[in-house]
Amino acid sequence: MKNVRLIICSVLIIANSGCKKYLDINDNPNGPTSADPALYLPSIQSQYATGIQLDSRLIGPYIQNFLHSTSGIAYDLHGYVRSSDFGGEFWRSVYWKGGLNTIDMINNATAQKKWDIVGTGMALQAFGWQNLTDYHGPVILKQAFDPTKNTFDYDPQDTVYAYVKRLCMDAITELGKNDDATGSPLFSRYDMIYKGDRAKWIKFTYGVLAINAHHLIKKPFYKPDEVISYVDKALSSNADDAIVPFSGTNATDASALGPRRQNFGVYGQSSFIVRLTDGSIFGIIDPRQPLMLTPSTDGVYRGLTPGSGQSSTVSNAAHGVRSVWGSPLGVNVPTGGPWGKYLFQDAAGFPLMSYAELQFIKAEAAFFKGDKALALTAYRNGVNASLDFVRSVPLANASFAANYTAERTAFLANPLVIPVTPAALTINQILLQKYIALWGWGFIEIWTDLRKYDYDGNIFTSFTIPASLFPDNNNKPAYRVRPRYNSEYVWNIDALTAIGGFDADYATKKLWIHLP
Amino acid sequence: MRNLLFIMLLLFVGSPVLLAQDANVSGIVVAEDNGAPLEGVTITNRRTQKSTITTSTGAFTISATRGDVLMISYVGYQGKQQTVSGSNTLNIRLSTDDRQLDQVVVTALGINRSKRSLGYSANDVKGSELAQTQRDNFVNGLAGRVPGVTISGTNGAPGSSTSIVLRGINSLSGNNQPLFVIDGLPVNNQTFNANNMIAQTENRTIDFSNRISDLNPEDIESLTILKGPEAAALYGIDAANGAIVITTKKGKAGEGKITYGFNYGLEKVGRLPEFQNIYSRGTNGVVNKNTFVQFGPKYPEGTTFYNNLKDFFQDGNVQKHNLSFEGGASGYTYRLSTSYSTRAGVVPNTKYDRLNISLNATGQIFKYLKAETNLQYINTKNQKVSKGQNSFYTALLAYPPDENMKDYLTPSGSRKRLLSGTEIENPYFDINKNDLHDKGNRVISNLGFVFDPLSWLSITARIGIDVSTNEYVVLYHPESNRAGGAINGSLDVSNQTNRVITGQYFGSVKHDFLNRKLRTTLRVGSAIYNFDDNVYSIRGENFLEPNFNSVNNTTVTTQRNKSIVSQKRVVGVFGDFNINYDDYVYLTVTGRNDWTSTLPEENNTFFYPSASTSFVFSEFFKNTGFGNIMTLGRIRASIAQVGKDAQPYSTNPSLEAQGITGGGFSYGFTAPNPLLRPEKVTSKEIGAELQFFKNRLSADVAYYKSKSVDQIINGLRISYGTGFILKNINGGEIENSGVELLVRGTPVQSTNFTWETSVNFTKTNSRLSKLPSGVTEFYNSDTWLFGNVRNGSRLGGPLTTFTGQFTYQYNDKGQLLINPATGLPLITNNAIWPAVGDRNPDFRMGFSNSFTYKGLNLNFLWDLKRGGDVFNGTGLYLFNLGLHPKAIENRETPVTFDGVLKDGLENTGTPTPNNVSIIPYYNNNFYSASVIDQEFIERDVNWFRLRDITLSYQIPSAWLRKKGMFKTASIGLTATDLILITNYTGGDPGVNGTTVATGGSGSAGFDYGNLPVGKTFNVNVRIGL
Repeated sequence: MKNVRLIICSVLIIANSGCKKYLDINDNPNGPTSADPALYLPSIQSQYATGIQLDSRLIGPYIQNFLHSTSGIAYDLHGYVRSSDFGGEFWRSVYWKGGLNTIDMINNATAQKKWDIVGTGMALQAFGWQNLTDYHGPVILKQAFDPTKNTFDYDPQDTVYAYVKRLCMDAITELGKNDDATGSPLFSRYDMIYKGDRAKWIKFTYGVLAINAHHLIKKPFYKPDEVISYVDKALSSNADDAIVPFSGTNATDASALGPRRQNFGVYGQSSFIVRLTDGSIFGIIDPRQPLMLTPSTDGVYRGLTPGSGQSSTVSNAAHGVRSVWGSPLGVNVPTGGPWGKYLFQDAAGFPLMSYAELQFIKAEAAFFKGDKALALTAYRNGVNASLDFVRSVPLANASFAANYTAERTAFLANPLVIPVTPAALTINQILLQKYIALWGWGFIEIWTDLRKYDYDGNIFTSFTIPASLFPDNNNKPAYRVRPRYNSEYVWNIDALTAIGGFDADYATKKLWIHLP
Repeated sequence: MRNLLFIMLLLFVGSPVLLAQDANVSGIVVAEDNGAPLEGVTITNRRTQKSTITTSTGAFTISATRGDVLMISYVGYQGKQQTVSGSNTLNIRLSTDDRQLDQVVVTALGINRSKRSLGYSANDVKGSELAQTQRDNFVNGLAGRVPGVTISGTNGAPGSSTSIVLRGINSLSGNNQPLFVIDGLPVNNQTFNANNMIAQTENRTIDFSNRISDLNPEDIESLTILKGPEAAALYGIDAANGAIVITTKKGKAGEGKITYGFNYGLEKVGRLPEFQNIYSRGTNGVVNKNTFVQFGPKYPEGTTFYNNLKDFFQDGNVQKHNLSFEGGASGYTYRLSTSYSTRAGVVPNTKYDRLNISLNATGQIFKYLKAETNLQYINTKNQKVSKGQNSFYTALLAYPPDENMKDYLTPSGSRKRLLSGTEIENPYFDINKNDLHDKGNRVISNLGFVFDPLSWLSITARIGIDVSTNEYVVLYHPESNRAGGAINGSLDVSNQTNRVITGQYFGSVKHDFLNRKLRTTLRVGSAIYNFDDNVYSIRGENFLEPNFNSVNNTTVTTQRNKSIVSQKRVVGVFGDFNINYDDYVYLTVTGRNDWTSTLPEENNTFFYPSASTSFVFSEFFKNTGFGNIMTLGRIRASIAQVGKDAQPYSTNPSLEAQGITGGGFSYGFTAPNPLLRPEKVTSKEIGAELQFFKNRLSADVAYYKSKSVDQIINGLRISYGTGFILKNINGGEIENSGVELLVRGTPVQSTNFTWETSVNFTKTNSRLSKLPSGVTEFYNSDTWLFGNVRNGSRLGGPLTTFTGQFTYQYNDKGQLLINPATGLPLITNNAIWPAVGDRNPDFRMGFSNSFTYKGLNLNFLWDLKRGGDVFNGTGLYLFNLGLHPKAIENRETPVTFDGVLKDGLENTGTPTPNNVSIIPYYNNNFYSASVIDQEFIERDVNWFRLRDITLSYQIPSAWLRKKGMFKTASIGLTATDLILITNYTGGDPGVNGTTVATGGSGSAGFDYGNLPVGKTFNVNVRIGL
């Protein structure tokens, strides 16, 4: 008996002492638990672009950048797709691909005293929240990413606005630090947008601040001077544009707007953007038109009418609107291309913010303030920058006029485009030229403009929403997008109910920024 | 830890041989039927309680005096009591009669225990019963044979996987398969998860075998099914789902024996769903040959029809060869067996080949040390076809009858197309040009030592290794639809190396009290489990040479690869304590503590106890007249708790490399959860066992109830507010209960004729009693196969329900609401899907009968299922195409739905009755817009099926001797799945829509694109030399 006890006990003792180490194998060997902070950047930046791109399949038709080939489709009619994640891609960008990745990146960078990455992370967070709230309204902010929680309360939009502002201020502070490990080679290698240029990130952050402040234009506490001062510290030329690049070699690294990923074959340019560029409104053909838009096979530029689909134009095949890639509308890209133009190319970069955009914001703020001279200057800068930008996108399949420069000069000389006197400048011009400049990428910003003027066709000259809207809308246009279906409508029901998310016309309710 | 076993071995070898014993009585134990010596038979002197076991020659020596009673017991044989008389040498013959008065079963850790002492139900099945069915996956042979066991095969293709669930579902999303144990040690029964491949194919369209099917049924001596945690508690983690304990065949000492068996089988295609080809291709009554939808006008008279379906299938055939050698002498035995089986399925080009070589050896190394080893090598190859969505099978059903499907190539050799756009792939193209196959090599080895230095002390140590390498290939031809667009062919290959090492040792001490009336055994031991799985997957696209199948043939820039490593380790210590009071009251308590690598350190240890008791009340009247009627009566009760751990790497975050521009890292879909706790299952069971007329009639009943709390829900879709898309959380709570009944009888028993019969009955219930807050439905996305019906569970409901997305709209009075504009019913799109059906049957029963007349035996097994819903996804698919009988009948007759118009008056006193008439023939919306998918959930599906029937004849050995032929010879006929009587309108209602890799309650009851199980007829011959 004694022997037995000895054997058993000795064996157990040996077993237990080695146990802890023996069992310590639960670190996932398939990927690192933590990485150099710079390594998080490409995915965060890329997914911000992709999120906006894919969600434009829903709001692109709301704002009539492009419209669907099928008549009566929900997107054209300010509707949504029931029980679907469609339109919830930026939600995914901010909470998942941004989310904890950005938080970890900031934490790791803080530990390594890489203040430039800390600040960049905060700037990206600010950009994410700003766009997310402009898109959805109330979002999960304070409780987000709490590992002890599985359901999350929503925060109202004013809270998000205040938080974005604070994040920007913090980001500027961090980006201003210039010691320790800042400027690491990895930062410049993996920062897809600015290649590790801290000065540009500071400008970007001021850009977010400008947008954040300017979106409050309907509020009594709106401060145009603050907006103007932010813009002046923000992007100072097209070289500062925040552009997410895409290699376009395969389906994973290609732009979601490009033909390879097959997302936009059913979308054709709207009649509204055609009217804005063919001289109907500005009295002169816009030199950007052949670079951005596609004519029908008969050479005439046509666009779709919301809700009507291709059937509205296609009595004659040669009059049919082409897809945004220039290919036949409504089918997957046929072989034998090449297809894809302007930003709708596999390897085209995607702007998150541009100098032109901010100049138009400044113009509107100055216009609001009554400083029309300043407004005109900013407006002219915006138009000029956009003309440069469009010309700078590599031309794969667009025929552009060799005399672009000449056309541009003529265009700028047209008083309908650039008024001769500040007094002649109209709010319509600012918003419509901004619309053209942001066409194909600035979807959320354009939508914010349209919503704040309640889709007014007198301001957005000739803009008309469809007469018959999506059935749930009660004849109201969309003012917000419902939170992502499979995240919220299935798994966060109580919190969503509390903000009225289950109301049939939830998507038509105005956001806090749109109310006085 | 690894050193431990080494130390143990040293201790064994180093221990001095301690004692000598008086040797008053010796004898030999042989089998009644063939006189072969039996090795390992336990002989216990009832007075002294000392025991010994027989050697390989069947010999034993035990100290005893005249008048002592020796108790002889052996697994699978009827126990015996023998009084020591004058003679010093006893010749004891044990019979293999099924109806043993005191049966011995193998329980956890390979411990043999008398059945009457068990406080829980344990069923055993003889290996020969499974082997005689000639199925290539022996698990399928268990269906209907044992109460409380649910078997659902994926489909009828060779090598397809089979799910086995003991009692109910214990885990919402995790594995519910029992632990498989061979000769005391757990082995791997994984099913390869398609998500390990680069192009995630899901588990819906490709089936990968469950690895336990690698075993050769001919190598199985017996199989014990330990259904609840009570029985399996000593195995710790993974035993929450019960355990299936397999004992392999051992050689028998004596003259060497060679056995050869041959089986040839013919397989006919199983029950196919009904459909009709009356209307031609088109829509709304208008011909359109550029579609597969058959809503056109009726085929004109004189149309040439091709019998595409019938011509496609072939007769499958099965061949099996089994050869074994066994023998042994002076303390050593061996059994070497080799088996080759090959099965070509009813679908051309499908094939499952398996080669098994196994060696079993036992040796009495020293007087007190016995060693046994089992070594198996298995080689498998499975040539498969697709299943489910876009599979050859759905294409076969959809193919227009006025087109000759055999013409799948154009004269130039490329794929022939019927339509200009995307079209259904011709099944011939699929089976000839695409290539899905698995290849496997596996070695399972066990080594065990039993050291018996003293009559009251025994030490057992075992180590087992299960190593396999498997290759899984999914190749889509450049012209295949499935290649995924213009990528010009794709090839996915995964190479998996899996290794499981298990080790276990325990000491057992016996001591008697109260004048040997109270006998106790204490066992204490430890176990390790070490799981290591590596999968390397590669993919390439864009084939250079269209018909050459290698990744070297793909374009370099398209090639991708990934590595998936998965490791898990568990260390456990356990003990059990048995008390036996005078052979009528038994009590067992067990305890086990495990430490697992998959949980956070602060939660990674958990203890689970169990207690069970058996009370043999018939002891009180065994010598009375009633005792002659009721020969055994006992009641039993048990309670046990076991824990389950998490999947590896659920607790710590990990980053995934990104393929986007710029690369870098980002988190994957699933949130790490550093707060995970083990889930716990508590189970209670009571039961009774009654035997009458010397076991001519017996009944065994069990009732159990279990509750599983803190369920670890894997991959729960959750609010993205977590920062992730999925999360593994503790949350759910599941309750399970059920009744099992087994009645056996021998209505006729005479010298030449015996009729044995048994009936078993199973009823299970489950309830999802808790879900994490915010979650109203748990569903498994793998099961969302077709249409909008999926395996979803709602709080308070069973775990086996369907949920459906759409429901009809009704007014306050319950009248169907009709859209005034279309005349079609209005449908609600539910954000939260309601439960719309339940797959759980009311009960299941098995009936088995065996008639023996001299050497002739006929036995058959019927399997009855009563109730339980089945989603006929294949039927819905056919309906959408206009082929289902429901889409044919009355197509040209005007229909007015019985309901009221939703015109604003629907909830007033005078709703407008529907007056809109539709002719479906001209309005195909009738077949899509007005029918919700759950119309194709078939309610209360019953079946009564003849699982297997065998007629065999044992040629009299006297005759064989006279002819100077073999020692033994038998011939047999076996048919499987011959008869299926069911109210189900589709094919086979017993299929499983995904594979075993889908956790939770899986996809049994989802019939979509599954080839029904075929009917097989076998002829077999077995000879012994």
